[in-house]
Amino acid sequence: MATATITASSAPAAPKVKAPAIPLAQRFLRVTHLLFLVLLGVQFIPDHASVTEAHTSWLIGFAVIVEAFTLAITPLFKKKEGLNLFLDIIGFIYGFLILWTIFTAKTALLPAALFPPFGKILAQTAEDAPKILINIKSSVGIILQGFILALLAAVPLGLILGWNARLGGAATYLSKFFSSIPPIVYIPYGIALLPTFRSVSVFVIFLASFWPVFAGTMSGVLHVDSKILDSAKVLNVSKPTMLLNVILPASLNQIFLGCNQGLSVSFILLTSAEMIGARDGMGYYVKYYSDFGDYTRTIVGLLVIGIVVIGVTFLVNRLQNYLLRWKK
Amino acid sequence: MSAAVALQTVPKIEVKHLTVNYAEKNRMFTALRDVNFTVEEGEFVSVIGASGCGKSTLLSVLEGLYKQADGEITISGKPLDGTGKERGVVFQHYSLFPWMTTRKNIAFGIAQVRKDLTKKQRLELADTFLEKVGLGEFGNKYPSQLSGGMQQRAAIARALAMDTEILLMDEPFSAIDAKNRIVLQELLLKLWEGDGKEPRKSVVFVTHDIDEAILLSDKIVVLTAHPGTVAEIIPVPFARPRDRKTLVQTPEYAEFRSHLLHLFYNDIAERIGGEEVVL
Ligand SMILES: Nc1ncnc2c1ncn2[C@@H]1O[C@H](COP(=O)(O)OP(=O)(O)O)[C@@H](O)[C@H]1O
Ligand SMILES: [Mg+2]
Repeated sequence: MATATITASSAPAAPKVKAPAIPLAQRFLRVTHLLFLVLLGVQFIPDHASVTEAHTSWLIGFAVIVEAFTLAITPLFKKKEGLNLFLDIIGFIYGFLILWTIFTAKTALLPAALFPPFGKILAQTAEDAPKILINIKSSVGIILQGFILALLAAVPLGLILGWNARLGGAATYLSKFFSSIPPIVYIPYGIALLPTFRSVSVFVIFLASFWPVFAGTMSGVLHVDSKILDSAKVLNVSKPTMLLNVILPASLNQIFLGCNQGLSVSFILLTSAEMIGARDGMGYYVKYYSDFGDYTRTIVGLLVIGIVVIGVTFLVNRLQNYLLRWKK
Repeated sequence: MSAAVALQTVPKIEVKHLTVNYAEKNRMFTALRDVNFTVEEGEFVSVIGASGCGKSTLLSVLEGLYKQADGEITISGKPLDGTGKERGVVFQHYSLFPWMTTRKNIAFGIAQVRKDLTKKQRLELADTFLEKVGLGEFGNKYPSQLSGGMQQRAAIARALAMDTEILLMDEPFSAIDAKNRIVLQELLLKLWEGDGKEPRKSVVFVTHDIDEAILLSDKIVVLTAHPGTVAEIIPVPFARPRDRKTLVQTPEYAEFRSHLLHLFYNDIAERIGGEEVVL
């Protein structure tokens, strides 16, 4: 065919709009930093009897580290919205710590046994760090194993059944039925079926994640734009190429919806199961110490679980944004 | 008739007695009735007609996507059966896969017809075709990052890179603004006419733009609606290579254009309260 070359001069790319630089004052003169100073100031109020100097130092140390981190990371933000969000979150944390300090260490308005000063929670976290890490490893390990197994089974099956119009119709109804069963009721059956707590947990998490991921994949496949399918058909793609290079990416958004749902159910299930029958895991940690009335450790457990779940969700979101970077 | 003679005279595409009935709720809707035309080897054929007259239906039959048509269609003498590697397609929208960069899109198209090339060779070939359509710098952009005109350039680059004998295009420039549409028409004309060293592709090009049809085609098939039938098949008498600016200034062009317009208006006048028609 031809060798002619025509430049795209008539269709130039839209010039990149650069976000205006954020002025220094807007970066650093913020209420968040004022709250940090207030938090430090509050520490000078005399402590209530049951609080030790060490607890106060822990809190101050923690606040200083958070503030140093905040200041260090502030110059890295390019967009104003991102910076505002970040500083607001930090601000909320400071505000929460100020109130917590006043109501616990300074006035003991809250019952001391149930609401330890935050410094004590930090000290306890540090002391229990090795134990906590083992528990996190156990919990996250089980979730990952069950979840990844579910993913490996549900995505290919969803792609194939969804692509096959006739089987897909039947499978949609079946998956609706199975996903409507609260997965926690599989636990007794799992216990009868499998030897160890770990294998039962993996089994239950597999079932809990399988159905949402399967349903998400199927619905993704069924909703692929027919224009995209036509475009692939006229290229004469083979069946495997159609499934892997066309249907899979086109369904990815819905698959991730299923994954997120599966993951959050998995965390709920696993921590519940750990509270009932485990000797490891974060659920076990919380339950064990609350049975002894050790509410400092109970709160440590709650916070750690929150952080772990947020961390996992964050990583999954990053992966999702990366794999769907082609979307507007 | 001997086989050798038959081969020589066989058209690239032959459409005989093509009729398409769509099943609506409880009646049949005839979108195309007894459509006949041929596309010779290396011929550029435009199909024009008001919107709703069955142009896309005709093309989806030729693409092999619509299979319930009546009639006889042959490609190089062989009965048409589904989609085929000898046909490349450019749609009005969504020819490209949104999750692939432009060069990956083109390389993916190449991969479907050239299993002999390595991945690297396919990407290199993709780059040369991106250059040809003026998208050399945009290979690593996703379709959503490109304007509509640039997406169509990339779709054309993919169809050309696949080097199919036949190109099927369904209003590829209809969604592009007037100024860019002209640029794209000239680009397509230049790429298709080539330098005379390589054989030209056989093209079926759907449009509702009369000037576009005249500029590009060797032959124009005019469809009228309800049901879609061929009103007239008109050879375009202008020599190649064509240049828009000089062509549109000739009196012959004005005369030819007004003849086509007449065909259009007659059709529309017969349809009271007709649909929106773009000429
Ligand atoms: N899948 C379909 N089912 C029923 N009717 C259809 C279908 N596709 C197109 N039509 C009808 O057939 C006629 C021709 O449509 P189309 O080929 O898209 O026309 P054009 O491309 O010329 O605008 C229109 O009246 C349209 O409503
Ligand atoms: Mg159309």
